[in-house]
Amino acid sequence: MQPAIFERVVVKNSPVYQYMKVSLVLEHVQTKLTAVELKHLITTGLKSLYGEVGAAFPFDLLTFEEDTLTAVLRVYSRGLVRLWSSLTLLGFFQQQRCAFRVLQVSPYLLSLTGNSRDLTLD
Amino acid sequence: MVRVKSRYLLCEINVSDQSKLLLLDDRAINGAVKDAVAFTHGDYGAAQCGLGFSVKYVNAHTGIMFLRCPKSSYRLIWSALPFITSIEKRGEKIPCFLNCLHVGGTIRTCQKFLVRYNTQQLHRMLPKCKTKEEKAQIRRAILCSSSYMLKGREERKKEKDD
Repeated sequence: MQPAIFERVVVKNSPVYQYMKVSLVLEHVQTKLTAVELKHLITTGLKSLYGEVGAAFPFDLLTFEEDTLTAVLRVYSRGLVRLWSSLTLLGFFQQQRCAFRVLQVSPYLLSLTGNSRDLTLD
Repeated sequence: MVRVKSRYLLCEINVSDQSKLLLLDDRAINGAVKDAVAFTHGDYGAAQCGLGFSVKYVNAHTGIMFLRCPKSSYRLIWSALPFITSIEKRGEKIPCFLNCLHVGGTIRTCQKFLVRYNTQQLHRMLPKCKTKEEKAQIRRAILCSSSYMLKGREERKKEKDD
């Protein structure tokens, strides 16, 4: 058996931003949201889990489709874990239950355009 | 795993009303700091700091306190201290603010720093004295603390020679 080797991983040229494609699932399917309300919802989630310091971390809502409630978020790489964990633990939106489904996460925006799950083969 | 390391924050509390200073006790400060950490860093911060945090020593006359924090989360607690604006004691809110003077690994290093800091403060108070009696009192206090520091140095020299 080989002895355990100490390995240090150094990542050079690590990407600055991380992009997340998320979709919001609500208890009452008919409710409509605006982009501002969605950003406020995510900020309240960050605030409850990570406090004022966490809620102050900048993130951007790049696109938002109102029919499917799908959004593309952009965050600095250091804040990805915080944002993702607060989305996971976010449970309520205006007294109705909600859940965030994270569809794709990538450091490159272009890779969010294609999704092999939605691919239909002839 | 040789030793569990922790950090001791030496803080000074500044109160506008001197008489209210004497009402301080460790439980009130414990509650105030925990609330501040929960406000600043949310559930994550409150959980990380809640385990090893305790108030070790409070001096109500001078407003000095020692806070014990685990080594992994002492920066979270330190960053939350400026957000404390008041301490609640039996329904009464005492407006105050906390100053962190020193971070040490053990209570003894914090104590050594405190002796040096107090002698500096006494030196600063000396020119502001108005009566001769006050000056004599301060000079005696400086002499006391310097002899304490010298005694400590002599003891360490003896240990080296033995």
